[in-house]
Amino acid sequence: MGTIIEASATSVAHERSMSPGSLELADTAARSCLARAHRSAGELDLLINAGVYHDRILSEPAFAALIQEDIGANPNQLLGAAHGTFSFDVYNGACGLLTGMQLVDGMIASGTAKLGMVVASDMNPEPDVTRGFSFPAVGGAILLSADDSRAGFTAFRFDTFPEFAELFRSDVSWHDDDGRGLAHRGRNLLTVEIAESYAARAVDCAESTARELIAEQALDLGEVDLLVATASVSGFADSLARRLGVSHERVASPSNGVAGAHTAAPAVALESVRLESARTTLFVSAGAGITAAAAIYRA
Amino acid sequence: MEGSPGSVNGGEHWMALEGGADGSSGDGPHTSRFAGIGASVPEQRLTSAELMASTAHRTHIDLERLTGIHEHRVVAEGEDSYTLALAAARDALSHADFGAEDLDVLIVSSITRYVGGLRMQLEPPLSVSLKETLGAERAMSFDISNACAGMMTGVFILNDMIRQGRIRRGMVVSGEYISQLGVNAAREVTTILSDQLASLTLGDAGAAAILERAPEGAPGIEVAGFTTLAEHSRLCLAFPSKVGLGASMYSDSRSLQHVGIEDTVPMLREALDQAGLEFDEIDYFIPHQTSARAIEKGVKEFSARMGGAPKHVVVTVDEYGNTSSTTHFVALWKYLSEGRFAKEDRVMLLSIASGLEVGIVIFKVDQLVGHGHDH
Repeated sequence: MGTIIEASATSVAHERSMSPGSLELADTAARSCLARAHRSAGELDLLINAGVYHDRILSEPAFAALIQEDIGANPNQLLGAAHGTFSFDVYNGACGLLTGMQLVDGMIASGTAKLGMVVASDMNPEPDVTRGFSFPAVGGAILLSADDSRAGFTAFRFDTFPEFAELFRSDVSWHDDDGRGLAHRGRNLLTVEIAESYAARAVDCAESTARELIAEQALDLGEVDLLVATASVSGFADSLARRLGVSHERVASPSNGVAGAHTAAPAVALESVRLESARTTLFVSAGAGITAAAAIYRA
Repeated sequence: MEGSPGSVNGGEHWMALEGGADGSSGDGPHTSRFAGIGASVPEQRLTSAELMASTAHRTHIDLERLTGIHEHRVVAEGEDSYTLALAAARDALSHADFGAEDLDVLIVSSITRYVGGLRMQLEPPLSVSLKETLGAERAMSFDISNACAGMMTGVFILNDMIRQGRIRRGMVVSGEYISQLGVNAAREVTTILSDQLASLTLGDAGAAAILERAPEGAPGIEVAGFTTLAEHSRLCLAFPSKVGLGASMYSDSRSLQHVGIEDTVPMLREALDQAGLEFDEIDYFIPHQTSARAIEKGVKEFSARMGGAPKHVVVTVDEYGNTSSTTHFVALWKYLSEGRFAKEDRVMLLSIASGLEVGIVIFKVDQLVGHGHDH
C-alpha cells in the first residue's frame, strides 16, 4: 500500500477581481483540490497547513483550523458523521509542503488517517508596511490517500545547512515611528531578507540532498521522468536540473507570473504536468535554513 | 490494517487515535514511551497582584482570586523563546539514555518563536538552529504550530512514527516567551469582561519531551488521540500587537471554557474506551493549565459525566501561570522532580486549546521514575 497524490490545485490572487487574503487563497485551493478528486471535505482525516505568511500574521490558532472550518471539514460532532478531522500547521519554509506530505504519508501508512490534505498559501499581510516581501499571492493544496495498487511516495529526505541560515530570514519586530504622535509610537513590521547568493546556495544544498536520496534508494537519475523543483526563487528548477543532468522537458516548476511562489510552489508546479504519466517523480524543495527536502514518488 | 480496531480513523472513532487497549501497541508493531522530560522555568517571578498593579486602567479585578494564579515566571534579559527551548531540550536529554546525535526527529512547537528579545522569527524555522546547537545532526527537523496543543501535537506525531518503526527516537520542544501578551493586555484591559483577560494568566517556560521505542513488552504510551472542532476556531486569535512589542491575544474565554467541557466529554470517553479504561483508573490527570478555577470546574463536570474521578488532579497554574504549549510537560517535569509518581502510575494528559483542539495522551510513568528526574 502506498500514499498517492489524488489531486492538487492552486489559487492565484491576480486572477481575481478582489484582493483576497491568504486564508481565502488557502480555502479556494483546498476546495478546488477536493472537487478535482470528487471528494467531500468531510472525508478528510488530516488537514495540515504549511503556509507561512498569514493574514494578520496570525500565530494562534493554527491557520489550518480556520481553513478546516471554512471548507466544512467536520467542524463539529454532528450526529451520524463518521469521523472528525485533525488539523495543525507545519512551519518549514519552502519545504513545508513536502514536510506536511511526509507527515500525512506516515499517518496513512500507520492507519491513523485515510485521507489527508496539505494546504499552503502566502500573501503579504500588510503591503504598505512590510519590507522585502516579494512572493506572489498564491495558494496550493495537495490531497493524499492510500492506494493498494500503487507505490506512491517511497522515500523522503530532509537536510539542513545552518551555515547558510543568514541568507534567508524573515521576522516580525517592533519599529518605532518617529513623528507620528503619541497615539502611534511604533508598529510591528514584517521583514523578509533574501540574500543574492541564496539562489545559488539553494541549488547546491538541493543537489546534495537529491543525490543522497537517489543513492540511498539505489536509483539512477536517468530513471527520473519528472523533476518537481521549487525554492521560492525563479530559475531554481532549471539550475538544479542542469546539475542533476535532468533534461529540460522533464522539469516542472512554477511559472507564468508565479515563478517565485513560496510555500505553495510544489502544488503550483504540478499544475503544468500530468503526474500520473511519470513513472518516477523526484520532488525537491529548498528553503530558509537552508533546508533541503527531496521525495521520490512512483506512479 | 484498514478497518481493524485500534487506530484506523474510518468510522469507528471521531478522533485520530493511536494505540489500543491494555497498553498494546494496537496496529503499530512497536510501543513508544517517554524517554525524558525536561523544562526550563525562568527565575524571575511576577505575582498576579504585581501584574494587575501595572494596568493602565483601574480594573478592580482580583486576578489571583479569579484564576488561582499566585505568580508567573517571566523571562529576564537574554532569555526568549529560543533560550527557554534550548535549556529545556538539554534538560530532557540529561534524563535520557542517549544523546542529541541519536535523535531521528526534532520538532519545535512554540507559538511565540521570539529570538533575541521580541523578534518573532518566521524563517528559518527555530528547529534549524536548535538542531545545530544541540548537535542533533541527523535529525529531520521542522516546526509545528497548534496553539497551546503544540507540544501534544508533536507527541502525537512522534508516537505515530515510533509505533510504525519509522523512527526510534524523537524530541518535541517548546519555548514560550508569552508573558509579553500580558504586558500588552495590561494596557487595555478595563473590566473582567475584557477579551484580553486570558492574556493576564500567561507565564513563560520551556519544556521538552523525548520519545523512544519501548523495549518489547515494556509499558509506554497506551493511547494518543487528537481532533479539531473547527467551528470554534475563531474563539481565540493572537497576532502581532498594535499597541506594543510582541503579540496580543483576543479570546472569548467563557465560550471556550463552555465548549471545552461539552465537546471534550465524548473525546475522553472515546480515548478511555480505546485504552479499555475508566476515568477513575487514571492515577494522575494533567489538564491544560488555564486557571485553577477552570480546572476545578472542568474536572468536576468530567467526573460527573464519566461516572468517576481520577485519583489525582495536577495543578501547577498557581505557581507558573498558563505557560501555553508547555503546560503539560512543565507539570510532568515538576511532579517527576518532586518524586510524586510511582512506576505503575497511569497518567492522562488532556489538551484543550484554540482551534478547538482536543488532544489526549494516556501513558504509564514506568521508567521515568528514578531516571534522573528526582532531585
